[in-house]
Amino acid sequence: MQAQGLGLCASKQFFKEDMLDKAIVIENLSKTYKNSRGIQDINLEIQRGEIFGFLGPNGSGKSTTMKVMVGLMKADKGDVRINGYSISKDYEQAMKRVGCIIENVAPFPYLTAYENMKLCGRFHENVDEGRIDECLDITGLLKYKNEKIKNYSLGMKQRIGIAMAILSNPEVLILDEPLNGLDVKAMVEMRKLFLNLSNQHKKTFFISSHLIHDIELTCSKVGILYDGKLLGVDSTQNILKNYSSLENYYLSEVDLNGAS
Amino acid sequence: MEPLKAVYINELFKISKKKKIKAALIFSILSVIVAAIAVYFLNNFAGIRITGSSDFSIMVLTVLSYTLFPLFTAFICIDMFAGEFADDTIKFTLTGPAPRFKVFSGKILAIAGFIIVNLIFVMILSLIISIFINGNMTNVLKILLAYIMEFFPQLIFALTVVFISNITRGTTSAFMLSILIFLLFNGLGFIFPSYKSLFFTSAFDWYTLILGGYINFSKILRVFLILLGYGIMLYTASYYLFEKKEV
Repeated sequence: MQAQGLGLCASKQFFKEDMLDKAIVIENLSKTYKNSRGIQDINLEIQRGEIFGFLGPNGSGKSTTMKVMVGLMKADKGDVRINGYSISKDYEQAMKRVGCIIENVAPFPYLTAYENMKLCGRFHENVDEGRIDECLDITGLLKYKNEKIKNYSLGMKQRIGIAMAILSNPEVLILDEPLNGLDVKAMVEMRKLFLNLSNQHKKTFFISSHLIHDIELTCSKVGILYDGKLLGVDSTQNILKNYSSLENYYLSEVDLNGAS
Repeated sequence: MEPLKAVYINELFKISKKKKIKAALIFSILSVIVAAIAVYFLNNFAGIRITGSSDFSIMVLTVLSYTLFPLFTAFICIDMFAGEFADDTIKFTLTGPAPRFKVFSGKILAIAGFIIVNLIFVMILSLIISIFINGNMTNVLKILLAYIMEFFPQLIFALTVVFISNITRGTTSAFMLSILIFLLFNGLGFIFPSYKSLFFTSAFDWYTLILGGYINFSKILRVFLILLGYGIMLYTASYYLFEKKEV
């Protein structure tokens, strides 16, 4: 009996540790629109500290998946757990340590960057004026902090989106096309920022993009979504061992699985 | 409670930064001043006694409760729901760590706050002006009670606009439909006077129930319960739609 009890304890402990290691768990996620497009049975596990790249052509279901992940949409089937909390059952806890950009960045245009950041910061205890300035500085917007968003360029809006996403120092960052509209210099800076946050601070990233080169340079793990189905998931290192580039892997996966 | 508080403060902050609020403030001041000048001239030069000092604040309330108050409330509600869904800024709030019920409740609390501030502002302004008209200020308690009572039908109207904002896709259609409902309910009240008390728009002047010598408490309770019923139904239905809405 004692041995059985110990075994149960050990398996519970293992389960707990296993859950702690997994920042994001997606189980059988399905969502179908009226036009019968959407996503089907997506299963995915992302470990803490990983940068996961979600690759796929336009309309493959990347944004739909991410919208379901952050609660902007309800799944027809399946669930998403972030930091061990279900997004459908315990939204508040699940989103507590999450920063995100979904599709386009849409801050309030009649407010300044600082005011938008302040609105965002009110949801978190650890955000003060110093932290707001720090995030604006990281994204190169500090000198424009008192300008209204309506006067911002597309790239600047994208930067404020990234600043808002990292504001609360979240454990998980879900970023849908985060480098959209950025110039080359800014893209390199942001890529460095993501890598630094992942390597130094164990932050987990879930990044979607159709820019394969970006994914190759940033992500430690890659998943390919095509026509609403997840075709393959592998580490970037493994992929590059077997293929000359991520682009070749992507094309071969799409040819092998997508066409069938 | 923290996310609810954050949503509430954020919404109030956003309201305070909108140009429409400045316009509401200016129009409210102008309408009270114009009414005061009209009353002063009619009382003193035309030989027509329009109103005494104690009634001026009530007269202003009577006019504004059917015009500017619902108009500005509609603007705020539409901006907060249909407007934010239309320009995608709703994502900002919905991707925060506040569940939709708290987001919805925080927004409604902020709208209630806006209505209260609007009423207090007009009441104080009209009381000050009534001193200039007649040199004194009487029946302040009744005036205060009347303005407090006006809060309830205005909130019900706000909830109606919130409901409409959650079934329409754009701000223009939400605004047009809100105006239509407002006119329709008022019109139906005139056409079917026996059913008038069932339409919440007839409660816009329910404060008159406390102004006379005799106060009919049972009627006040009846109107209050009708408003409460409207409130519960509209709040529930609007939240249901808000919760189901996909971005």
